[in-house]
Formats: sequence, C-alpha cells, structure tokens
Amino acid sequence: MRAILFLAALSASAQDAIEVLSARCWQCHTSKLAMSGLDLTTREAALKGGSRGASVVPGDTGASLIIQAVERKGKLIMPPAAPLAASEIEVLRRWVETGARWPKETAVKEPSWWAFRKPVRPKSGNKIDDFLQAGLKAAGLQPSPQAGKAALAKRLYYDLHGLPPTAEQVQEFLRDSYENQVEKLLASPRYGEKWGRHWLDLVRYSDTAGFELDSYIADAWRYRDWVIRSFNEDKPYDRFIREQLAGDEVAPEDPVAQTGTGFFCVGPNRDMFPDQADINRVETLTDFVDTTAGVFQGLTFGCARCHDHKYDPIPQRDYYRLQAVFAPAVKVRVPLSRLDSLGWERQENVYEIRLREIGEQIGRIQERCKKEGKAGDEKIRACLNENEAGQLKAVEKELVRMFTNYRAKPFACGVTDVGDYSPNTVIPGKGEEVKAGFPSALGGGDIPEQSFERPTTGPIPLTPTTGRRKALADWIASKENPLTARVMVNRIWQYHFGRGIVATPSDFGTRGRAPSHPELLDWLAVEFMQRGWSVKAMHRLILHSAVYKQAAQPSKPAREKDPENIWLSHFRRRRLDAEELRDAVLAATGRLNLKEGGRAVVPPLSEEELFNLIGKASEQWIVTGDESEHTRRSVYLFQKRTFRLPMLEVFDAPESMLTCSRREVSTTAPQALTFLNGAFVMKQARAFGAELAEKHDAELVQAAWIRVLAREPAAAEAEQARGFLVAQQKELGSRQAAAVELVRALLNSNEFAYVD
Amino acid sequence: MRPSHGIEIHRRTFLDRGIAGLGLLGLNSLLGAERWRGVVNPPHLKPRAKRVIFLYQAGGPSHLETFDFKPKLAEMHGKPMPESMTKGQQIAQLQGRPLVCFGPQHSFKTYGQSGQQICDLFPHIGGIADELCIVRSMHTEQINHDPAHTLMNTGSIITGRPSMGSWLLYGLGADTEDLPGFVVLTSAGKGGQMQPIAARQWSAGILPSRFQGVKLNSIGDPVLHIQNPPGISKDIQRDSIDAVNRLNRAQHGVLKDPEILTRVAQYEMAFRMQASVPGLVDMSDEPKHVLEAYGAQPGDGSFASNCLLARRLAERGVRFIQLYHRDWDHHGAVKQNVALKAQEVDQPTAALIRDLKQRGMLEDTLVVWGGEFGRTPMSQGGDGRDHHIKGFSFLLAGGGIKGGMSHGATDDLGYAAVEDAVSVNDFHATLLYLLGIDHERLSVKFQGLDVRLTGIAGRVVRDILS
Repeated sequence: MRAILFLAALSASAQDAIEVLSARCWQCHTSKLAMSGLDLTTREAALKGGSRGASVVPGDTGASLIIQAVERKGKLIMPPAAPLAASEIEVLRRWVETGARWPKETAVKEPSWWAFRKPVRPKSGNKIDDFLQAGLKAAGLQPSPQAGKAALAKRLYYDLHGLPPTAEQVQEFLRDSYENQVEKLLASPRYGEKWGRHWLDLVRYSDTAGFELDSYIADAWRYRDWVIRSFNEDKPYDRFIREQLAGDEVAPEDPVAQTGTGFFCVGPNRDMFPDQADINRVETLTDFVDTTAGVFQGLTFGCARCHDHKYDPIPQRDYYRLQAVFAPAVKVRVPLSRLDSLGWERQENVYEIRLREIGEQIGRIQERCKKEGKAGDEKIRACLNENEAGQLKAVEKELVRMFTNYRAKPFACGVTDVGDYSPNTVIPGKGEEVKAGFPSALGGGDIPEQSFERPTTGPIPLTPTTGRRKALADWIASKENPLTARVMVNRIWQYHFGRGIVATPSDFGTRGRAPSHPELLDWLAVEFMQRGWSVKAMHRLILHSAVYKQAAQPSKPAREKDPENIWLSHFRRRRLDAEELRDAVLAATGRLNLKEGGRAVVPPLSEEELFNLIGKASEQWIVTGDESEHTRRSVYLFQKRTFRLPMLEVFDAPESMLTCSRREVSTTAPQALTFLNGAFVMKQARAFGAELAEKHDAELVQAAWIRVLAREPAAAEAEQARGFLVAQQKELGSRQAAAVELVRALLNSNEFAYVD
Repeated sequence: MRPSHGIEIHRRTFLDRGIAGLGLLGLNSLLGAERWRGVVNPPHLKPRAKRVIFLYQAGGPSHLETFDFKPKLAEMHGKPMPESMTKGQQIAQLQGRPLVCFGPQHSFKTYGQSGQQICDLFPHIGGIADELCIVRSMHTEQINHDPAHTLMNTGSIITGRPSMGSWLLYGLGADTEDLPGFVVLTSAGKGGQMQPIAARQWSAGILPSRFQGVKLNSIGDPVLHIQNPPGISKDIQRDSIDAVNRLNRAQHGVLKDPEILTRVAQYEMAFRMQASVPGLVDMSDEPKHVLEAYGAQPGDGSFASNCLLARRLAERGVRFIQLYHRDWDHHGAVKQNVALKAQEVDQPTAALIRDLKQRGMLEDTLVVWGGEFGRTPMSQGGDGRDHHIKGFSFLLAGGGIKGGMSHGATDDLGYAAVEDAVSVNDFHATLLYLLGIDHERLSVKFQGLDVRLTGIAGRVVRDILS
C-alpha cells in the first residue's frame, strides 16, 4: 500500500511542483526577471541557482536553498509576501527528494500579480453601486440613506472646489437638480484649483529647490497654472501624461505642452552646488525615476536603486533602465512665445547694461560720504550734498522709468534632451551597462535607438532629442499598460471618498494593500480608458452613485463591524485639508480674492512665524506688495520647500521632498493655537465681526451661522448665541468685539473644520 | 475674576444643552487616555536613562582643536599628508588640491583625576572631565552638511526616515501632558555663519506627525500663537474655548465621531500650554548664581540660555531635547573660530552637566555633545580645515555612561578612527540601549521593510557603559 502511494506521488510530483513554482515563484524568478539572478523556469537554471548559489540540489532538501526559503526557517524567506501553504511546501519537498524532475514542456505563464494583468471589464455590474453591494452584504451591513440636500451642497462644494458654498449657492443648490449642480461645479475654474492641488501633492511641487540654499525654481508657477488649466479643460489623462513626461518631444512646437515638462523641474534639487555636480545629477535622476514610477505607475521603484526589490519583481537592472530614459534630459527655459521671449531677452540685455551703469553711478555718488565713514542708506543720504542728492534723484527716476509695467518673463521651466545622444547608464558597483527601457515585469522591452534625420537644407533645427521620454510616455499612457488607468482611477476615488480602493495609492505592489473592491477598480479603469481618459467623466460616474450621496452618520453595526468604513456603508467625514481651511476662513468671512493664476503670492508673516525661515527674509520671503493678493486661494501661495507657511504646515500640508499620495490628518494643540490666537484667523474674524455688528441680534446670529457653517442656526443655538453676545458685549465693552468673539468661536468649531 | 456672577451663569449656558455628563472630570480622564505611552512598554531592557539632551554642534567641529590631541600632526605641520592615508578617500572641497598637514592650532592639557586630554580653550569642560566619556573614534559616511545631519539624526540618508527623537517619543512617550515630548532649540554663533538646519532634521518621517520635534523659538514667544489675541483676557479666552468645546460636544452627541473628542482634548491642551509655556521660558525664578554659572541672559537666544532651558525642559518631563548650535564650519581661520565657539559653548555645557548632577538628574539624563562630522588634519587655504568623515569626537555624560574615560582613537595624524571605531548606527544603538530599547526590536513597517533607526547595522558600545 505504502509503495503504491509513493509511486503515485512520484509520478505526480513533477507537474505539481511546477504548478507551485509557476504560481508562487515565477513572478520574480524567470529568465527575464531573474531577481537575485535566479531563474526557476528550467531545471538547468534552477540547479545553477542565483547569486546565493544552487537553489535546488536533487535528492537533498537540506542543501536546497529553495526549501530553506519556503520553510522560512533560515535567513532567506520566500516568497516575501505570502508564505506557501504547508501542502505546497510538501509538494516541493517531495519533488526535491525524488530528484527534482522537470516535465517536458513548461510554458511561462502571464504575470500572476493582479495589478500587472490588464484590467478587463467585469460581468457582475454596470454601475458603481452594484459593485459595492456584495461587500456590504458579506459584511452584514446596509447602505445609509441619502444625505440631506444641504449636507450634499457642502460636500460637493468642498469636494470639487475646496471651498464652502455661499448662502446663495446653498439656496440655488436646494432649488436646482443635483445633476445640474454637478455640471455647474465641474465647469467652474474653482474645480481645477482644487483638483490641481491634489496633483501638485503628487508631483512634490514647490517654488524652491530645498536643501541648504533653497534657491528659487524659476517660473515653477507656470507649471502650477498648467496643471490647474489641464484639470479645468479636462485634458485627457493620456495626453496629460505625455505632456509632462515628454511635452518637448510630443509637441515640440507647442509651448503649452512643453510647460508640462515642468513636472521634472518642480522637485527638489541641489543644483546650486556646482562642485558636487556628479552627486547632484544622480540625485536628480533618482528623483525623476522615483516620482515617475510612483505617480504614474504606483510602483515603489526607489527600493531597486541599490538592490533587486525585496518584494516586487523589480530587479535593480530595471531601475537603471528607467533611469537611462532620463539620462539625456536637462532642465531648460521654455519660451512661451518665440516673439515675446526674444523681445524680453533683448530688453533684459539692455537692462543689464543700464543697471550695471546705474550701480556704478550710485557708487560714485556715495563715494565721498563712504570715505567719511558713513554706512547704511539713511546715514549716507543724510550726508549727501545738494549736487549729489540731485544726481541720486535722477538715478531713482530712471529706475522708476525702467521698471514701470515690468512684467513676468515669458518662460516656463521644463526639460529636453541634450541632443539625440545620451551618456551611458551603468549599474553602480556592477559596471553592467544597460539600455533605456521599461519594467520587465510589465513586459516592457528596451527602447530602440532613434535615428534623427538631419535636414541638409534650411535653418538648423532646434535640438534633436533621443525620443526616450516620448517612448516612455507612450508606453505609460497606453491602454495596454495594466497600471496607468487603475492607479489614476484609484486616486480619483480616494480624493472623493478619503480612502482608495487600493488604500496605498502609490503602491500597487505586493506590499501595498489589496483592493477592497477589485472588480470595481477594474470596471472604473476600463470605463476611464473607454471614456477617452476623461477625469471629469469619472467624477460624474462617482458623484451620481448612491454611495457618494449617502449620509455620513454611521449606524451602530457599521461602527462595530467596519470602523474603517472599508465597505462604505456611509460617507466618510473628513477634516478639511490645510488649504481648504485657510480658504474657508477667507470665504466665510467674505475676504477671499478669487483671482486666478500668476506668480506665487507671498503673504506677510510675523517675525515669530518667520523664525524657521532659512536665510534673510529680504531674500527668501519677499512679501507681495499688493495687499489684495494676500487673501487669494492657498494654491497660489508661494511654496517654499524648507519653510511651509506655518498655518498650512500645522494642518499637515506636505513637505514636498517626495511625492505625496495621501495626506496625513493629525489633530494637535498647535492647530488649536493657530485658530484661536493666530493673527490670520483673528484678522478675518475682525473684518467679518465689524460687518456683522451693524445687524440686529437675530440677523447677526443667522448671518454668522450661514456664512461660517453654511446652515441656519437651530432655535436653541440662536437663543444661546444671542445670550453669548449680550454677555460678551458687557465684558468686552463693544458689540463689535462681541460679534468678533462669536465668529472666532464658530471658526474654531468642529463643524467648520469638517465636512460630512 | 468675574465681574458678576449673573454674567458668568449666562455665559456658561451658551450652547450648553444636551451635553450632560461630560464635565471636567470626564475631560481629564479623556486626556489621560490621550497620552501616548509608547510602543516599547514595558521597556526591552532596564533603562539607564530617562531622557536625552543632545548638544548638537552643527557645521562639523574640529576634533583636533577640541578633544583629540595629535602631537604627531604638529610635528608634520606643513609636510604633505602620507598618500597611503588619503588615497582614494572621499574629500569635499579639497578635491584635487595638494594635501598638507596642518598642526593643532591650540594646546591641550590633562584634566581631572582621569587625566583626560582636552584643548585649553575648554577649561570648564575640563573641570568636569571625570564625568565625561570622550569618544574619539566616531566616523560617518556623509561628507556634506545636510546629508551628514540626516544620517546623524535618522541613521540613514534616505528621505523620510524618522529622527532619533521621534523614535524615542514613539517608543517611550513622554512624561508631560503640557509640553511636546521632543523639543528642538537652535542658536547661532557670533561667527555669523547662517548655515541653516532644515526642519527635516527633526521630522517624524514615516511615523505619524505627532512624534515630530517641536522647535521652540529661542527669541520672542517660544511657541507660535501661544498668547491670546490682543485684547482677549484669559477669562474671555476660556469662555471662547468653552463655547467651542460645547459646540463640538453637542456635535459629538449626534455624530459619535471620536475624532471630535480628540479635538476637544487638543483645545484643552492648547489652553494648558498657554499657561505652562510662558512659565517654562520665564527664567525669573532662576537664582542669579545659576544664570551666572551658565553665562545665560534669559531671552537672548544664546546657546547658554538654551542650555538652561534644556534643563527646565528635562525637569518637565520632555523626552528628547536637542540643541543646535551653528557656526562650526571652519573652512578658514580655524584657530580664531574655534576659540570663538569655545567662548560660546564651554561654560554652558559644563554648567548644564554640573547643574543636572547637583539636582540628581544627571544619573538618568544622557547628555551628548558633538556634530555631524569632524575636520581634516590637512589644511584648507592655509588656515582652515575641510569636512572630514573618517574620525571625529563625541562627548557623552550622565545616565548609564562611565565617566572619566575615553573610548577609541584616531591614528597619529587624527585622520581615521583606527581603534574601537564607532559608527553613527553604533551611537544610535547605544543611545537606545541606555533608554531601555533594543535597537533591533524598535521598528515600523514601511513599504514592506522593517524600518529601524539603526537600519541593518548598529552595535551597542558596551565598553562605555557604567
């Protein structure tokens, strides 16, 4: 009996073993990927092993590294993510014991990790709510009823505009159909300001370079405006990708498309240290690779910089193949219009000569007084004689003439290739030269070298490029790429619901979270591509679903069974993010300036708030002179990499050193201090208080509630608020001061800072 | 005081309905639940120290003019560095220049019963030589300031790793509810180098942001917005906070969102900080002899004032106190510049250690003195020294440290740590050990890795433990 069983096992063992290898090991260990040098697709390769030595020693399980690894007893543990079942280990053990035979034909199958297979339209549903049903049912939960219309108004306004609705907008919302309102909000320029901000988080946007000197990144704001405009125009996402990765190659004649390549310029860099140019270059390329892979593909490529990725099938070679795509790329100024930029250059050349002349002139005028030991502008001015003072006045007049109507320079920042050639890319420490190409695990091959045809007649063309970035952009922005659409629809979902279907939105690898609703994710991805990569079309799908319109109040079973609200039995309340809070204070108090676009606005800060600024405020924090600019939306504020606006920092604005796919939400005492005592909130509260003080009590309370909380006060609340006003008026001696206190209290309320 | 009882009652009724039960008592217990007790609870090992004061000398102090006496280097002054020593080694600004020995610019003396050798510029530190463990064999991997700071603080140069203070706070929590558990203070020297220290250096990185260091301003208000708005008295402030909290609790009554209660607690914490922080920085309760011992003039933002403030923070239960004193980047005129630094740091460093000892706190406070790297034994520009990573010195004192000893050594020219070399990871492993943490067991999952302060290295330096 025993002998028969043994023989049966022997005959079956080879096929079973290959099935285990195929399902559990080939994701990383094929001839193509060969993570750690190991290929497990042929007997010969398996016997040879990888960088750690022989993997399979026929007949000797003790000496077979593969057995040690799957048993997870030694140092090497495989597979890293999900351990093999005992039965699978047993199959492998017997297979090795009985000589590790190989069946005649073994075809290497499709990649087995879900995110690396192309999404296909599932059969089980044709709208979002269908897909959510199953999860809810399995969890024993019911969906919540629809939220009230006023709540929906506030939700939709914050979600699409990042601003509270005004009293009139709430009224209109209540009268109008939901569908109309969705269209109206999507068509507003406020939409791009809100959703562009999400994208700016992802691309680690900042107006300065970071590190010790934190130099300005010239014209970074052009890219910021390009992002906002792209969302407002509903630029197809595949186009959006192409312009960012290779605008210069995709549309060399279109400066707007080239502005997209600002994607590469708005990251951190240490270019200001010329004596470390080689290190800086490596760091820049690392930033390009990590950001590109994380943002567009949801892959944590950075791990493969120094070694094969420990968990995902990304060999170190692939890291450098992707790096090679960027090897010829350099940062350049992109002229927005040839004519304007030529004119501007000409003007600047003249200015430079004139300014040098003026500088020397000032030196000569001040010479006498300086020799007398006077220093500093005021002392020198006091010392000037009439003649000298007259000369200085003439110089000042000339300067005024020169700089009247002085405009921003007509350039954006971007990248292009040095030419149609590239430096070689070599894996550090290994010396192996690699060709530019795409991740092997996704079936990516090498990029063929492009030959550039040089015209024999006519003007010399602009710099030719290698076409590598365009090839990468085409490969990413393709319907064949299994990750691109999934990663983006997951981000859209996350920004609407506060949590992605994949909760780790920039990690779709084996260490990321598994999708809560895999079919929904695939359905959305397919819809996204079929609807022409339209982001607004995805908003419509989501905003018109029942799940989006649910009330935010969790039921008792929901609180107990699903505290994370993974199954979306109710809408997820969220705290406003840093920019929304600042904008909402301005909007509620009637002080928001809705001007769009343009150079970054630098708001005034107190000396204490500037304490953490690196360098001199006169160079590093040049306050925008026009005061009306100070109350513009936060997305237009100057973003300095080493110094976040304290008010935004305290509410978890990202640091922008790395791509940020999900903001943290902390609740801290410094936030309370900022809103209770900070000059910014106080200033707006005072302005609004002054406006309110002219109203009768009942009117005042109602106006305060509507503007700050976007709803009418309940009768009891109104009564108590009136009592508060009376008391505070006695205490503070003025009705206006009492109104300010009421506003301050409401701005500090939880209801103001959260949206249901 | 309230002007009229009637008003008080009236005011207190603002939005107060339907919030029965959650009085002051309820709030306090809520706050108790709020306080972070750490993930290493109980400790892995018997803690030798409860807190750390790190006197960080930013810019890279010359070990050759502070704690590492090299007579041989004096002999070799002006002669070329032996090529065997420097060949193929990483150097910063001296790249491609001739490498010439540059002798110590100040003389050394032996101090204390232990006979520790310390530069003449530091007589006060010399006076506490028997408390000190001088580590002369530190080495690092990063030759530029920012990455070297990052390595020293986080054990790695990968962006986003938590700093050591954040690790300690995450691991152990802090013994205070009124102050942040990880506090940073900075001071600039008279040398005028304004080389910045980025806030990234005390970032919590991949840990939640509540564990990040909070930098107290050393001039003006220590915490932003700690004072009431102009014209708002403490009573009015209390009223407004009460009104806010009532609004919030009323909302909680409906929504049952625990986040609302967290927010209520944070408003209470803010109110308490408004009371406690001014007391922290108000030095009027310090006797004159203490101020004189430190050489501190309260409110001047100097290293001396910060040292005194560090003691006050330590007394109040802060876990990790990090002082950055800038200005140690002496590419030129190292002789004059180190003398200038010594004037700023010698007396307060010694005063702090004495003060802690006198209060019985030195035994459970670990004091660290050192920078991100050392400086070359070769001259730069004839009178300065370049960045140097192969060998430099640290001072340790207090909780769990053996006093009156030195550990490790550089070679005869002060170039490389050749005896009992201590890496940055080793230093971190030792620091965690002293606080009762096994550095291999304090980790957090990130992108599939178990991220640790010590990466995949680090070894406790047992020879220096008491």
